[in-house]
Amino acid sequence: MKWIPNFNSSNSLRVIFVIAVFILLFLSSIAYKHNQDLNESSKLAMHTYEINIQLERLMSAIKDAETGQRGYIITRNNRFLTPYLYSRDKVNASFVTLKKLTVDNAVQQKNLENLFKLIIQRFVSFENCLKYSDPKTYDKRKLDNHMFGGRILMENIRFQVDKMNDIERKYLKKRLEIYDQEISLSPVFSISLFLTALLFILLAYRQISRDFQRLKLFNKQLLISGGLMAESEIIGKFSTWQWELDSHKITYSDNQYRLLGVTPNSFVPVIETFLDFVHPDDRAAVSESMDKIIEKKNLPFIYYKIVRPNNEIRYFKSTGKLLTDQQGSKILLGINFDITDEHLLNIELQERNRELEKSNKELASFNHVASHDLQEPLRKIQTFISRVSEADKAVMSESGRDYISKIAVSAKRMRVLIDDLLLFSRTNTTKKEFIKSNLNELLQNAESELAEVIHENKAVIKASKMPKLEVIPYQIEQLFINLIGNSLKYNKAGVPPEISIESEKVLSSDYPEFLEQSVKKFHKITFTDNGMGFDPQFKETIFILFQRLHSKTDYPGTGIGLAICKKIVENHKGHILADSTPNVGSVFTVFLPE
Amino acid sequence: MQKNALNILLADDDEDDRLFFKDAFEEIKIQTKVQFVHDGMQLMDHLLDPENKLPDILFLDLNMPKKTGKECLIEIKKSDRLKNIIIAIYSTSSSEEDIEDTFVQGANIYIKKPSDFNTLKKIINEVVTVNWHYHTSGLNRDNFLLRLK
Repeated sequence: MKWIPNFNSSNSLRVIFVIAVFILLFLSSIAYKHNQDLNESSKLAMHTYEINIQLERLMSAIKDAETGQRGYIITRNNRFLTPYLYSRDKVNASFVTLKKLTVDNAVQQKNLENLFKLIIQRFVSFENCLKYSDPKTYDKRKLDNHMFGGRILMENIRFQVDKMNDIERKYLKKRLEIYDQEISLSPVFSISLFLTALLFILLAYRQISRDFQRLKLFNKQLLISGGLMAESEIIGKFSTWQWELDSHKITYSDNQYRLLGVTPNSFVPVIETFLDFVHPDDRAAVSESMDKIIEKKNLPFIYYKIVRPNNEIRYFKSTGKLLTDQQGSKILLGINFDITDEHLLNIELQERNRELEKSNKELASFNHVASHDLQEPLRKIQTFISRVSEADKAVMSESGRDYISKIAVSAKRMRVLIDDLLLFSRTNTTKKEFIKSNLNELLQNAESELAEVIHENKAVIKASKMPKLEVIPYQIEQLFINLIGNSLKYNKAGVPPEISIESEKVLSSDYPEFLEQSVKKFHKITFTDNGMGFDPQFKETIFILFQRLHSKTDYPGTGIGLAICKKIVENHKGHILADSTPNVGSVFTVFLPE
Repeated sequence: MQKNALNILLADDDEDDRLFFKDAFEEIKIQTKVQFVHDGMQLMDHLLDPENKLPDILFLDLNMPKKTGKECLIEIKKSDRLKNIIIAIYSTSSSEEDIEDTFVQGANIYIKKPSDFNTLKKIINEVVTVNWHYHTSGLNRDNFLLRLK
């Protein structure tokens, strides 16, 4: 119902029913009142007619007396006196009745009193007539007088009776008029009220049928989601349970039974039944955390083992939450996950990780020993060669001198190899401290490191503005040294090397094939040279350790430099690419995350 | 040149290195008195013996048996009597870790053993003639590792 916000259907239904009931109550009270009024009116009419009848009776009694008296006076026969003698009693009886009937009407009582006085006077006049008509006391003049007076009194009585009748009739008429008024108004009113009530009831009916439809729909959805839930519990290897704390009723989902290794609903769960399944080692902990949920209202994940009836051990992870419903009763909701597969996988993974760590450590120490301890004897070989003085060489044979210089060259090459290997292994093993650094400064450091070679080759290095990034500074410096050094080394004969370094911001989504998509922006730094270039088919292999494209006599090198570059870029979660056109130049592209 | 001969002590277990060192000092013609110890234990015994004059400069190899150069360095820097000796680390290793550790522990300079005798001479000359007071006050991570110009 729109006129009351947030009115749900059960509330609106209630309102409709209350209104309808009130209308019906009102209608029935009106009907009752009408009935009462009708009753009252008929009583009133009866009352009026009764008074009328009694008055007429009174009149007829007096008339009877009059007729009887006349008959007696004329005939002197006592038989005619009988009605006269009875009429007094009749008058008195009617009078008593009238007095009772008019007890609630002061005016009529007064009239009645006057009437009574007149009647008494009339009877006195009767007595006088009888007296003066008696032959013993006959007096014609007085008899005429009294007879005539009786006549007048009689008229007065009739007048008084008519007056009283009139009053009653008027009163009745007035009451009937009021009643008519009320009764003429009420049918329209009650019919409209009735229709309103009917309308409300129809509205309610419509609402009920609508709710019923909705209920049916919800029921269907509930059925679907219940089915989905049961299915997903089976697939996802989890189960749910409810524990109504007030009634101690525990309900398990079907899958809970399955996870425990029994058929659904094969037993009625009580508090202890679950603990029976828990592995004895974990029972105390599980029981304790059950108590804690009630206290803390929710439960962080607990991990424990259960033992199935066939003695199979499964690993469980559980959590729970305490809910309080609208009626204030507390329900504990819980979810159990069977994490046996993950657990076993995890153990295996940990095992493998440990092995990997171990072999990594071994490799590192092997690397260290190989490069470090190999340096010792090599250094001595070189130092001893350097101790062979020119004087010593002068007395040697030519071939001896030749061998000495070849030993020196080989030893030097071995030194470079060892140094490079050491550098390569260090890019992996040393601490990786990320510091916000200005790449232009790092480039300057690299250039000053290479100053001598740059000067010798008359190389020109142009660099655009580069960003400040969180990097491992000495590694980025090494990266710059290696890339620039590479360009300087593989220059075109007779052409001074030109290297231009450009930097721009790019979106990772533009390079989905190799950039980490979780980082949105990368800095793309390109190193373009005018060197001899290389065959683009090697653009992947040149980054592999010890891969060389040229003979070491033409271009001395160890094949480690670019492998180090790749390692450094990988340490920064970036990417490095190489491309080239032979005899035009090479482009190395480094992507570093923002 | 100093009037009094400089007292130099080299702690190194490698016989060849001691020989190169001795030869180099002989050739650079600075008045020095060079002494040798063969391992860390011997070094500490020598330094702690009050009979022995304390060296002006101690060349300390890191990789030594019985007691490593780093252990000796820590002990020396803890001792009030010894902590002012100028210590030049003299090692084959040039690993960041070793350089960082010895810098933090208070060594004065780090020398990577050269593979050329002439370079060795230059290095020794440099170390012996440097104004240590000046060098120490301006010591930082960048100039800690000796680089010949």
